Amino acid sequence: MQSSSVLKKNKDLPQFAVLQLSGCAGCEVSLLNANEWIEEFELVFMPLVVSAYEVPCVDVLLVSGGVRSDEDLYNLKRAVRCSKKIVAVGTCAISGGVANLGNRDEVRELFMSQNERRDLPRLLPKSRPVDDFIEVDLYLPGCPPTPELFMAALFDDKEFKASRTVCQECGRKKLKDMKPKHLTGFQTGEVDPDICLINQGYLCVGSSTRGGCRALCTRPGHPCVGCRGPSDMLIEKDSTAWLESIQRVFAALTDIPADEIREGLLSPQLALFLFQFSDYAGTERPPRPKEKVL
Amino acid sequence: MATLTFPISRIEGHARVEIEVRNGEVLSTRFQAMEKRGFSLMVKGVPAEQMPVIVPRICGVCSTAHHVASVKALEDAFGVQPPPLAGTIRELLLLGQLIQNQATSLFVFTMPDRLGVESIFHISEQEADKGVQFNIARRALMVRQLGTDLITLAGGQFIHPVKAVVGGVSSGVDSGKAAAFQQRLKAALPTACELVDTYWDISMRMKERIGTWGDDQPAHYITSTRPELPNFDTDSIRVMDPAGDCCREFTASQFYDTLTFEETDYSYAGRTSYEGSVMRANSLARANMVRRMGTKLADGFLKRLREDFGHPAHPILLFDLCRGIELVYAVERAVELLAAPLDEADTDVPYTPRDGEGWGLVEAPRGPLIHHYVIENGNIVVGEFIIPTVHNMLAIERALRVAAERYITADSVNLELERAVGRVVRAFDPCIACATH
Repeated sequence: MQSSSVLKKNKDLPQFAVLQLSGCAGCEVSLLNANEWIEEFELVFMPLVVSAYEVPCVDVLLVSGGVRSDEDLYNLKRAVRCSKKIVAVGTCAISGGVANLGNRDEVRELFMSQNERRDLPRLLPKSRPVDDFIEVDLYLPGCPPTPELFMAALFDDKEFKASRTVCQECGRKKLKDMKPKHLTGFQTGEVDPDICLINQGYLCVGSSTRGGCRALCTRPGHPCVGCRGPSDMLIEKDSTAWLESIQRVFAALTDIPADEIREGLLSPQLALFLFQFSDYAGTERPPRPKEKVL
Repeated sequence: MATLTFPISRIEGHARVEIEVRNGEVLSTRFQAMEKRGFSLMVKGVPAEQMPVIVPRICGVCSTAHHVASVKALEDAFGVQPPPLAGTIRELLLLGQLIQNQATSLFVFTMPDRLGVESIFHISEQEADKGVQFNIARRALMVRQLGTDLITLAGGQFIHPVKAVVGGVSSGVDSGKAAAFQQRLKAALPTACELVDTYWDISMRMKERIGTWGDDQPAHYITSTRPELPNFDTDSIRVMDPAGDCCREFTASQFYDTLTFEETDYSYAGRTSYEGSVMRANSLARANMVRRMGTKLADGFLKRLREDFGHPAHPILLFDLCRGIELVYAVERAVELLAAPLDEADTDVPYTPRDGEGWGLVEAPRGPLIHHYVIENGNIVVGEFIIPTVHNMLAIERALRVAAERYITADSVNLELERAVGRVVRAFDPCIACATH
């Protein structure tokens, strides 16, 4: 029990707030796994854990979730008016994430045919990333970002440098002489614990995905689905560069036909995370500068 | 007529309570889910085998339950039976979720109501309470993190796990890591018990202050855990009547024949009932519908509950105490499971995907969770998610009416009403992201 910290005056601490738009709260749950901030920041708004109904002016505003309803848009615009630093956290806020599945035209029609509810927020025709509406100072991608990434963003840690790719953090051995002829699929078979998942035929995109997640999925045997988005090498390029980069890796480590890889890469599961490429999202947005992405 | 509106914080997701009043008479109490993400629509056309990675994103709090329910629905459709070791690792996953969820609900969501503060992270104005509160906050976060770390150990990723796959799990748990984690759980068990004791004591004090444990009438209860011992990886659902007799048992695929599901025009969440009666799911339902927890310390707490409140017990603030019992149970049970080798047998069986229909059931922390898929040409054409919170919707609204009638008269509205509304909703620990998916 550290009595000094208990007696530290709240008002001396920098303040931060967490605005949750349409999302799953996984980002918030991740943040609750960090405790370094407790004595260094005052959390003034985060409906999941604090009873407060207005976002006050804060030093750091974290925004999670996509803009899906009129209420999301209103809350976002109101919250950013006097915040000093705005951080978009999580894949949904940055590029739509899983919500992009709902942006397919055939699904949008289904949404439109649903009954309206009285007195409730209305859904917008599409889910949108927050920087369609506001200026963002820092992007913190991940589904969700790890607690360490949250702390680096909150503390503005200049020393923090995420690994270049998930591949670098994974540590599985890449073999030149173990070349599968076809993809294994996401859900199939026991996984060798030490050998690269690509050598085992899994459609893993860790070689082009931004590091910093500690390779939590690939180490226990699940292929990377790219939730942290493109690495610095690719983030300012378009999705063609990404496709080619992955295909080169597969050409070196497997005998899987390029068409099969391409088809797999464009599947919905991976597509969730790939809207970070502006051309993939079908918009004219400029790429997010890599200096702004943690 | 006047309408009182209360936005609800310290729950998962965006919700609001609306109470309509005329001359002191409570006309209606509504619990409104304010958001919609539309997963049933969004998953149409998605390759079925990708569902276990997509659907945890319905909810970052309940993601593990969705992950396992999804895999079970696909196994049902493909006719696959996973090996025993996979069952054990999935049970560990669900226990990790239970630790994380019950610790969050107890200490982050409802403890502030008992301490009279806005949040567990806000320092009380009362000098004497500061030490107590900080001591609780730090230890509560430590216990909560055990749940997250157990999910990571058994499921890979820490919020949206990936290790459950059709036919089993993608890998075992390394024996060194299992042993180290078991030690951490053992070391934390006394702390978990102290926190639950503290919670119990300050709940008693709150009861003294407000004069009730919740005076709503008895209800039916619903769970999918087993009658002898709780097991969260289950295959049938039971409904119990208010007197404590089990009146119905059914499988996930019999859901629509057994329960009534309906939508409303004032909320994005639906609601269920059993033969016209109000049901309650979640911790109190499980405590009422299990003979014993099967672990030493949790059974001690269950005995205390039954001695103090009888069996079945009905006051709604007991939901919170039952979460404490389950928190202790989950730590103890995980210690047991980690004692056996988890990396020496097959973790999965081969399978062949096929089109058809599948139902997946698990007991989530909030009650029975069902995933129902219809697969054509390898893709999802129907993806339905029957969420535990919808079983509690009528119960929440009925309990809100009781609270409203207690605090609203023709002359005035007692300011305690706002706090009572929060306590009632949080007792049920609803999950709005899930309920509206």
